[in-house]
Amino acid sequence: MAEDFPFEISPMFEGERIRKNDMYVELSGPKSIGFELVKAAEMDDVVDGKFNMIGPDIQDMEEGGRYPFAMIYKIAGELVEEDLESIVERRNHDFQNYIQGLMHLNQRYDVWVRLSKEAVEKGVTSFESIAQAIMMLFKNELPFIEKVEATYITDKDEIEKLMDEAKAKYKARDDRTRNLHDEDVDTFYGCTLCQSFAPSNVCVITPDRISLCGAINWFDGRAAAKVDPEGPQFAIPKGDVIDEESGEYTGVNETAKSLSSGEYDRIKLHSFLDHPHTSCGCFEVVGFYIPEVDGIGWVDRDFTGAAPNGLPFSTMAGQTGGGKQISGFLGIGINYFRSPKFIQADGGWERVVWMPKHLKDRVSDDIPDDIADKIATEEDVSDLETLRNFLEEKNHPIVNRWEKEEEEEATEEEETPQQAAPAMQMPASMPMNMPAMPTSGSGGVKIILKNAKVSVDKVIIKKNE
Amino acid sequence: MTKIIAITGKGGTGKTAITTLLLRHLTKSDKVVLAIDADPDTNLPETLGCEADRTIGDIKEYMMNERDNMPPDINKESIFESRIYETLNELPDYDLLVMGRPEGSGCYCYVNNLLRGIMDRLTENYDVVIMDMEAGLEHFSRKTIRNIDDLLVVTDGSRRGMGTAERISELVHELETDVRNIHVVANKVTEDNKEQIQKTANELGLKLIGLVPTDESIAERDLAGEALYDLPEDSKAVIEVERIAVKLGL
Repeated sequence: MAEDFPFEISPMFEGERIRKNDMYVELSGPKSIGFELVKAAEMDDVVDGKFNMIGPDIQDMEEGGRYPFAMIYKIAGELVEEDLESIVERRNHDFQNYIQGLMHLNQRYDVWVRLSKEAVEKGVTSFESIAQAIMMLFKNELPFIEKVEATYITDKDEIEKLMDEAKAKYKARDDRTRNLHDEDVDTFYGCTLCQSFAPSNVCVITPDRISLCGAINWFDGRAAAKVDPEGPQFAIPKGDVIDEESGEYTGVNETAKSLSSGEYDRIKLHSFLDHPHTSCGCFEVVGFYIPEVDGIGWVDRDFTGAAPNGLPFSTMAGQTGGGKQISGFLGIGINYFRSPKFIQADGGWERVVWMPKHLKDRVSDDIPDDIADKIATEEDVSDLETLRNFLEEKNHPIVNRWEKEEEEEATEEEETPQQAAPAMQMPASMPMNMPAMPTSGSGGVKIILKNAKVSVDKVIIKKNE
Repeated sequence: MTKIIAITGKGGTGKTAITTLLLRHLTKSDKVVLAIDADPDTNLPETLGCEADRTIGDIKEYMMNERDNMPPDINKESIFESRIYETLNELPDYDLLVMGRPEGSGCYCYVNNLLRGIMDRLTENYDVVIMDMEAGLEHFSRKTIRNIDDLLVVTDGSRRGMGTAERISELVHELETDVRNIHVVANKVTEDNKEQIQKTANELGLKLIGLVPTDESIAERDLAGEALYDLPEDSKAVIEVERIAVKLGL
């Protein structure tokens, strides 16, 4: 069928760039308007293989000119649904680039197309041949499409008229994707870009957890893994749910084990204290446990002062980074603050006690209303004492925890010290990493000794007064 | 096959002038040429006599700053690619791309990884890519451009300039980039220092591909802030750079 077209079709032409000197016309693009849109329709609404042209066709265009350009594809089929629109739409980019002499860039209302002089000389004098080729590719490559009809528009008024409808469609889609969560997918993505300096880092990207550097979301991971499954971003089958609350999955644990060369075999995606995500060094924000108030503070790289614990970002980042799993510190991407699962295993926002002002402002829309003014910034407090007072004064939910703990402590004294089995992890290579111990109950300390011989006559553990 | 030529050297040795004259030679043939200014202290557009208002550095910042505002499932690579094509300066004889400012704080791993793929695809569209680079070879180490065919290290006659040339050669080996050939170009050569330059080069084991004589017309244009691209045919520097180009098979 391909031989009917006045051009060649091959993925080989995908990287082909049409330079200004070689171009016959430019369509849409940064200096004009246009869009591309795929619409799922009912079977009866689509005339299969039909092409509609609104506005001047190629032969009516002036050489070297620039024209507005919109492409609308109506697709139908038993399996066609709205959710597939964006996936099909993305293929328009690929398929148009398969056509020799046609360059397609960007997406949605930013599309930018150029047609070469050579292509026009070879007989591409109507958009019909292009649209027919694309429709053929749609049906060949995406067999769930049973019927497809194309409308290309070069009439500016008509495009402007339809632009609002297109934008509403894009927005509806974005709202849907924003509502995608870990439980809705069966694949997460991993990234190894940081392993050059953090060899045991295991970056797991899920719909509810952006990469630590803040650059790669689940959709980016999916797009990259599809193009190059062996590349730095790759699929992680989710496996079975071990614990949904803390975000522990068999697939993630297996990947953690292989990526960290056996260093870590459990990662809880939405946990701060127990088996947290590893921290590379690229993270935008570091979270730190403050034992004195049993809360968590967050500091980003743009904050140059010291956090209430007396440490600046750089010091804490140095302790946290390197691909280690360190209870008490956690590197994250800023967008993770927007996740509904944000450290939910440890109380989520109710556990957050301090953030720099500019960071708090940046994510303010996503902080629950009832807690927002209870989180201190550098404008409110300067050290642990003032932080403690601030939290008490604002009646931060963390204060309830203190009360509970005090009660527990009172009863604990009479109990056997079993419960004190602490849960802090101290990597042998980084003895300075030990975050301060939680004062009681929650968390605790875990000490891992590697290749150690220990002989002890007597051990006395006392509470530090 | 695209031939990729990079020009580097200590500041003030005249690498941008040599780049400009090589480009001048290239555009006289019907080759499709991409010039890249990879020096953060962007000089190439000026010596070429054109303007560059936007740079890859600006686009990288845009990608960093806007990433959380973009629709979640939007294809970032295709936005990035389109923006880079927008910054391409499409001139009648060649295209010009300016790398521009260095990176800010934060992690650019992902952005640079995307950039590598985009640059690979872009450069394939040209017969020759010619790149003016800073001595620190930052873009080498980031591998935003891979597989350099010929690296020209420009030096003046000074021992220090030659020393830089030697260090750059060593650095290239350390960086494990794929550089096929390294050549040294002596610039601002006079009758008086010619012998000494050759002697120093021999001592340091540097291969000299050409000795570009001091050309008063270049100094005059530099002072006046005029372009070097349209120097006359009979300029001494133009003649020597054309000889170098022939040796490089351009």
